[in-house]
Formats: sequence, C-alpha cells, structure tokens
Amino acid sequence: MTRATSPFYVTLIYLFFYIPIIVLIAYSFNNAQYSLLWHGFSLRWYQELFTDADLWVSVWHSLLLGVLSATIATALGGLAAVSLYRYKFFGRNFLYALIFILILSPEIVMGISMLILFNLINVRLGFWTLLFAHITFCMPFVVVTVYSRMVSFDKYIFEAAKDLGATDGVIFNKIILPLLWPALLAGWLLSFTLSLDDVITSYFVAGPDFEILPLKIYSMVRLGVKPEINALCSVMFIVTLLMVMLSQFMLRKKP
Amino acid sequence: MKIIFSLILFFLASLSFAEENSVNVYAWPGVIPNSVIQQFEKETGIKVNFSTFDSNETLYAKLRATKNAGYDVIEPSSYYIDRMRRQNMLEKLDKNKLSYFKNLNPEFLNQSYDPHNEYSTPFIWGVTGIFINKNYPHSAAIKKWSDLWNKNYTDQLMLLNDAREVFSIALKTLGYSANDANSDHIKKAYLKLKELNPNIKLFNSDAVISILIDDDANLGMAWNGDAFKAKQEKAQIEFVYPEDGFVIWVDNFAITKNAPHRENAYKFLNFILRADVAQKIALDNLYPTANRAAQNLLPEKIKNDPLVYPSHAILKRGEFQTDIPDSALAVYEKYWEELKMSE
Repeated sequence: MTRATSPFYVTLIYLFFYIPIIVLIAYSFNNAQYSLLWHGFSLRWYQELFTDADLWVSVWHSLLLGVLSATIATALGGLAAVSLYRYKFFGRNFLYALIFILILSPEIVMGISMLILFNLINVRLGFWTLLFAHITFCMPFVVVTVYSRMVSFDKYIFEAAKDLGATDGVIFNKIILPLLWPALLAGWLLSFTLSLDDVITSYFVAGPDFEILPLKIYSMVRLGVKPEINALCSVMFIVTLLMVMLSQFMLRKKP
Repeated sequence: MKIIFSLILFFLASLSFAEENSVNVYAWPGVIPNSVIQQFEKETGIKVNFSTFDSNETLYAKLRATKNAGYDVIEPSSYYIDRMRRQNMLEKLDKNKLSYFKNLNPEFLNQSYDPHNEYSTPFIWGVTGIFINKNYPHSAAIKKWSDLWNKNYTDQLMLLNDAREVFSIALKTLGYSANDANSDHIKKAYLKLKELNPNIKLFNSDAVISILIDDDANLGMAWNGDAFKAKQEKAQIEFVYPEDGFVIWVDNFAITKNAPHRENAYKFLNFILRADVAQKIALDNLYPTANRAAQNLLPEKIKNDPLVYPSHAILKRGEFQTDIPDSALAVYEKYWEELKMSE
C-alpha cells in the first residue's frame, strides 16, 4: 500500500463501519411512522421515546443487569487471572485453555446448557438466571484481558517486594491492583457491553418478570422497526461514545 | 459443595417470588398500549410484567422448554391455540370469572380451532387479502386471487414471507381449503405458485406498511389492518377481499396450565374484555377487534370502514386458520424452500 492510497482505503473502511449507524440516526429524525422515505425533520420519536414507560423499564433492567454482571465478573475474573498467573499448581495450563474454550464456544451452546441446568435444579427463570448467565459469559473475557496484561509485568517486582518483607496481601493491594486497574476497567467495560446487547443466551434464560432491552428490541423489530427504536439506538450510541471518550481520557492521564 | 451451591441458588430463586401480587403477560409487541397496562395496575393493584415475543414459534418453544415457565396470560394465534389446547398446555377457562365474555363478537366464537371457546378469548383479527395501489394502471381488474396470475403483473407482487399464507393463495385458487394437509394438494399448489414466479417482486412480512406507503410494490398480499394503517398515510391504497376466499387469522388470549397467578390472570383477561378498555386498545393498535361492544364505541369512520370491519357477507367467504400436523407442515416447508430458491 502506498502513501497515496492508504487514506482512501482507511476512509472506505470507516465508511463501511459507520454508514449504518449514520443512517439509523438520520431515520430517528424522520417525520413518518412507517415510510422509509424522508418526510422532514422531527423530534417526535424522541418525545415518544421519553414518554414510553414500558421501554424504560427494560432499559433500567438491562443497565442494572449490565452493571451487576460486569462488576461481579470483573471481581471474580480478576481474582482468577491473578491466581492463574501468580501460583503454580497442577492443571494450570489446562484451566487457562478451558477459558478460551468458553470464549470460542458458540453462544447457543451456552444458552441451551444454562437452560437445561436451571431446569434440572428447578430454578425459576428470571432476574437471577439472567445474572448468573451473564456473569458466566463475561468472566472469561475479563480473565483473558487481565491475564494478558499481567504477563507483561516485570516478575522481579514481586520478588523484590517479597524480599522487602511484603505479604501476598500487601503485594496484591500495593502492586498488582494499581498496575492492573486499566485492564480491570477494560474488562469491566467489555463485560458491560457484552451483557447489554446479548440476545442469544438471554433468550434462553429470560423469565416472565424481567424483560431486558435486547430481547424487547428483537421482538419489536420482527414486526417492523418503529422509529422510536431508532431514537433509542441513537441515544445509546451517543452514550457509548461518551463512555469511550471518558475511558480514553482517564487512561491517558495515568502513566 | 454441590449442596451449598444449590442451597444458594434456591435461596436466590426464592427472592424472585417475593412479589406475589403480579401477573405475567406474554404477548405480541404493540398490541396493548402502556396506558391500558397502567390503568389495570391502578385499578387492581396487581403489577403487570409484560414481555413480548416475535412469533408463535418463539412463544411455543419458550413454554415447552421449561416446566414452569411462569407466564400466566399468553396471546397465541388461532392455529397455535389449536395445537396448545390439544397438548394440554392451556387452562380450561371458567366463564364465571369472565363477566365481559358476552362483549365478544359471535362471529369469532366457537371456531374449529377452539370449538366452544373453552380455552381462549379472541382479541384481534385480520384478513389476508389483496392490496392495490390505485395509481397502478391495471389495478381495477383485480377481484380475486387467481387474477394475480395475469401476465400484466410481471414483477409487481409483494407476498408475505410466510409459507402457509402464500400457499393459501394457490390452495384457494385451486378450490382447496387453506388448511389443507393433503400432500398432493400441497404439491399442486406449489406448481401453481411456480407459475406465479415471474410476477413476484418480493417476499416481506416485517415492513409491509412501509412497502405499501413507499410504492415499493403496487399490489400483493397484505392484512387488512396493515392496509388500513398504510391508507392513513397514503390514500391511494385499496384493499380487496378476494372473491375466491381468504384466510382469517385471530390472535387470542389464553391462560397457561398451572399459571402461577391464575386469579390475577382471570382479572387481566376480564379487564381486556371490558368494552371501554377494548375500545382504547383498538384505537391504539388499529387492528380489527373481536370485541363487539368495543367496536360499537369506535369513531364512525373506523367502525364503518369495510377496510377494517368487512360486512358479514364478506367475512363468510373467509376461512379460519387452524393447526395442521407436523408432517404436513414439513411438506409445506420443503416446497416453500424450493419456491423461494427458484425465484
């Protein structure tokens, strides 16, 4: 690739990424309920969106689920990564490989196996089953993110700390956590996003008293996309954009 | 360890039962407005957990997959009522608890999919007929399904993306029932549909109204309710109730067998049947309502529009969709694939 063609190529790639989102945002301002032609600028879908209480209940459910599962998955996954890295024990490599299998295995397998498990132990489908399922599929991503960060650590830091009389607890609090927090944040954000837009696993384990946003959008879209959904997706896109900018900003300030 | 784990799970599961005074409704999206749900919650103090599904198959799979799925009130289409009642998945309705059952339109009661309405109450319905755009020059000549085979309509038709709906056109044209399960008849229908191929422009089920409004197709299949909605934004849309017969679909409410909140489910069902509530719903979703008392409360321009409420004489030409055996469905599916591939 020459210096002249590469900007062109990059532009093309970015257009490919962003055109669908731009189209969606444009349609959210279209003044027509069904028509896909342009009928003038209007904010009525945003108005409708903000008065649709039912939709906001699902948004709230999804956010709650996302924050809880991301936090728990980050805590458990972070600890798992630390112990995989710090302690040598029999079957360590095997355990690490198992985590990759979880990431690579099709989501539908996870969904069905969760459903069978919950049926077997007679747990009613609902909030708790969703939470367990989301923690389960988020955790491997946290482990991998955190572990790959730890591999880049200088091993002598730990030896030096031990030499100076630090216990495992002190090492964890004073060395590992401060060095690890960007990876933990990345893992948390990744888990949050995964949880927020998961349809397949959630479809199997969702119950009647806890409807979440991706499932609601999915069932609404099958019967025609309402412009209200476009408005909601635009809002979500902007919120994501702000969050990414915020996390970039926070990461830049730290050395 | 195992015991502790399942104990913890059990404890957490029991938490979700905390809110007992609720009812779990599982329905098509967009059929019940939020204001009606809120009104029910206010009047009765019962919390409604409203979830939606995108197809009858999803609803059915969800109920089959778990022993106690937890849904109380469900809204399957007629042919799934038929299937579910035969598979013992529905509660036999106690009519004493449904004081507003009398509001229902008798035309939609005691149909073959639920002979004495022991399991379901009809809610909304529709007719699959022919829509035409009046601006299209040859449109006036269309009176029945068989007219669609006319050579004038090359590359003009929009058909619904649904095997049984599309086959019903050919079955009706050939003089068979739309619920035919005879594989020879289905094959004949398939061959008939193959002749229609040059006229087919597209198959679609999820953006029908926008296709009508944006002139993406000039004629084809549509539900009368969708044609009515399209007509609000585009006056040239017309709807024909085919002379050679048509399919009537009905979405019904039912209560699941072993519903966890059975009494609340009855209250919800009865609330939906109330004339003023059903009228509110009909004004919001604009589909024809099966509630006669509510229909009478609608504005003149809706209740007298044959596009939404065709006369009794027209409706008599219709045929209600019923369930057919899985073996026949497989035949439909096989020919459906071939039809779409040969396009």
